[in-house]
Amino acid sequence: MKKFLSLMLVVVMLVCFTACGDNKDDDKETVKSLAVCLASEPDTLDPALNSAVDGATMIAHLFSGLAKWAQKEDGTLEIVADAAKELVEGVVNEDGTVTYTYTLRDGLKWSDGKDLTAKDFEYSWKRAASADLGADYGYMFEVVDGYGAELNVKATDDKTLVVTLANSVAYWNELLAFPTYFPVREDVVADEGWATEAATYVCNGPYVISSWEHDSVITLKKNDNYIDKADVTMETLEFYLSDDANNMLSNFKNGDWLLIDDVPTNEIANLKTQYPDEFVVSGQIGTYYVCWNVNENILPADSTKTGAEAEKAKAEIRNAIGLLFDRNHIVEAIAQGGQVPASSFVAMGMTEEDGSEFYKNAGSSDKFDGYYDVSKDAMQSNFDEAIATLQKYYKYDDATKKFTNVPSLTYLYNEGEGHKAIGEYLQGALAAVGITMNLETQEWNTFLNTRKNGDYSIARNGWLADYNDPICFLDMWTSISGNNDVQFGKGAHKDLAMFNLDLTSFGYDVKVENGTWAETYDVLISTIKGCSDAAKRYDMMHVAEDMLMESGCIVPLYFYTDLYMIDSSIEGFYSNPLGYKYFMYTTVK
Amino acid sequence: MNSKTLQYILKRLLLAILTVWVVITVTFFVTRAIPGGPFMSEKAISAEAQAALEAKYGLDKPVFEQYTTYLKDIVTAFDFGPSIKNRGRDVIEIIVDGMETSIPLGLTAAFSALITGIVLGAVAALRRNKIIDKVIMVITTAFVSMPSFVMGVLLLMLFAVTLGWVPANGAADGGLILPIITLALYPMAYITRLTRSSMLDVLGQDYIRTARAKGVSKWKIIFGHALKNSLIPVITYFGPMLAYIVTGSLVVERIFAVPGIGRAFVSSINDRDYPMIMGTTIVLAILIVVMNLVSDILYKVVDPRINLE
Repeated sequence: MKKFLSLMLVVVMLVCFTACGDNKDDDKETVKSLAVCLASEPDTLDPALNSAVDGATMIAHLFSGLAKWAQKEDGTLEIVADAAKELVEGVVNEDGTVTYTYTLRDGLKWSDGKDLTAKDFEYSWKRAASADLGADYGYMFEVVDGYGAELNVKATDDKTLVVTLANSVAYWNELLAFPTYFPVREDVVADEGWATEAATYVCNGPYVISSWEHDSVITLKKNDNYIDKADVTMETLEFYLSDDANNMLSNFKNGDWLLIDDVPTNEIANLKTQYPDEFVVSGQIGTYYVCWNVNENILPADSTKTGAEAEKAKAEIRNAIGLLFDRNHIVEAIAQGGQVPASSFVAMGMTEEDGSEFYKNAGSSDKFDGYYDVSKDAMQSNFDEAIATLQKYYKYDDATKKFTNVPSLTYLYNEGEGHKAIGEYLQGALAAVGITMNLETQEWNTFLNTRKNGDYSIARNGWLADYNDPICFLDMWTSISGNNDVQFGKGAHKDLAMFNLDLTSFGYDVKVENGTWAETYDVLISTIKGCSDAAKRYDMMHVAEDMLMESGCIVPLYFYTDLYMIDSSIEGFYSNPLGYKYFMYTTVK
Repeated sequence: MNSKTLQYILKRLLLAILTVWVVITVTFFVTRAIPGGPFMSEKAISAEAQAALEAKYGLDKPVFEQYTTYLKDIVTAFDFGPSIKNRGRDVIEIIVDGMETSIPLGLTAAFSALITGIVLGAVAALRRNKIIDKVIMVITTAFVSMPSFVMGVLLLMLFAVTLGWVPANGAADGGLILPIITLALYPMAYITRLTRSSMLDVLGQDYIRTARAKGVSKWKIIFGHALKNSLIPVITYFGPMLAYIVTGSLVVERIFAVPGIGRAFVSSINDRDYPMIMGTTIVLAILIVVMNLVSDILYKVVDPRINLE
């Protein structure tokens, strides 16, 4: 027994030493290396396949596309040419298509030293857009002529890339800076596992992957073959991988990680006071909203209304209920992250052709921005208006100040402290006027499935922009879109012929009275996509949003912000409105 | 080892294989029955892309055919297939990566719990009702009643953030110290209490009194007679303890950002990464089944009175 015990002791000690031995290396660089944590192990670092913000940040450090996001002297951001010599103007062809001819800079190389040519771009774009690859962001190439068959992009020689768009696209340059448009090399990606190990990862950007310990840390070092390597100030970047916001915060507090891209929701209030300089709230183009299932019957049980009449009543009811929510309370007491109360679906940060905010021009009122007044002062009048509207349809008990025959609703949301707290607030706000709303929570993947299939009455929803153009908030609501959670033009709503569309004032021969959703909204969106007159295009996008908001199915609550913590010793850091973070030009004091 | 023991082991092995098969079958059909799918995302992909991906991973075939193909690949080639979420990586590769961290973590926790638990339990029993016994009992009661996620967060705050003695990141050098302690505390406390009561029981037995009367030295009585027999309940606890450590590591790995198999398991379920769910479940099932088998056999080795039949 003694022998057995002592043997076990030896084994334990050996295992202890190998597993957690104190083998700290003291030669860790402090100034030339930056350790940050964005999220857990990225799903993929293949630029074509990536659809996550953390992946996009890493890819922006590893690849260089025709264009990139850069910071100007005054701190604002702009899109500038990167691998292309310049961001040329397109030439409009007779058929309305637009052709761009790009010339690549001289001396572009892959990280393994081989020459990068225009053919690599041609190959990469066709690959990313193909259905066979099944990339989440394959549809980013929708604007290119030939999408769905063969993309109209051609490398005419090693330096020249000619691409033709179906029509002029206001945000084309921004797309060129989007990871899906970054180049990969055919022989490299032939091995499907190429983007999962440091050894097989060939890129063309400021950095290369020097080591990749899965689920632990991805280390990037400066790419010697990068054409602008002289501008890159940070030698090494360490992207630590963690999926736990509390763990990230611990590592930030003890100084191991200098930037963390997530903070625990319940710590936000503390962090704002404890770390006023390090806790950063930055703008992000996205809207947190509540969506109704358009086919859900919310009229009283004894209502005799049917068809278009019923839908009009429902729209009015949904709009009224949307006015009962105090958005200022939601952002100040619950979300607490500097979010902005929303009065329109197209998010703050989306700009018009003249640079003005799209949401400020939305709606018809000149007293407030958007579709309703979300200022604190307006809360009471909104409330009174909502009650008056609802009284048209439901029985109201003046003594208790409550409605008595509103069918009970169920609010569906995905797991998460913040979503739960908002759900509870909405429930309380409705209960105050006698409307019962039950709460139902589902795990993320199940939730997406339920919402997509329209098996809900009201659900939490959110949408983040992929590029600065309102169309990415609007084209998702066509009857054929896979993101149309409201179910516009689906189910019973499909046959409702009650919508009007008149585009004659924009010079189009489109005038529909009492048409279906597909005959109006779908037509409107395809007209917008084919329109090359920017002013008309933006006006028509306002028409589209008017249609959405009139249905009352979309109840915007707030515009998202991007919250992160950054150590005050870092200089030269910037992030873009899509949430991508840029570390290549940083220095640590 | 006699033939009876061999026969018993063989029987248990067959039973183990059957158990693993049941686990595979149930998991396979349950994961496919839950709503959602691996290609479900906030921003929907096109129908053509979805079809292409389903064909690529064989998900377009009838479920039963998928099941038979899967079983065949497992049995003939031990092939768990590719991960759907981490495109380009094989499930087995991800599992091996995770195991390289999780196994040392789990084993170290298990053996530290065993050794400290036995020593503390023996000390408490031998110093019964003395101050040291009381202290050990109070502390172990606290550890037994505290869930590992509470303990983990407490340790993290104290030693990694406030004192800064160890890193908060499980992947850093020395980062496994806190996860090991967190995982080991509960079984350690349990084993202490088990050893103490069982040792007290054994120390009251007639044969110990006989040995004392014969003038056998105190230490020989403790190590030669008492300790060995009082370890029997501890050995029966070996199986459940490993199960605890395996499941406990799911939470602990997350708290400390340890790049282990536990985290991979949890995220695979959220992502509906079918091959990954299957792979991790099978590996964890095999681990638990084997450990239970080992514990049963050890039980027999320590206590000859046990009839394996």
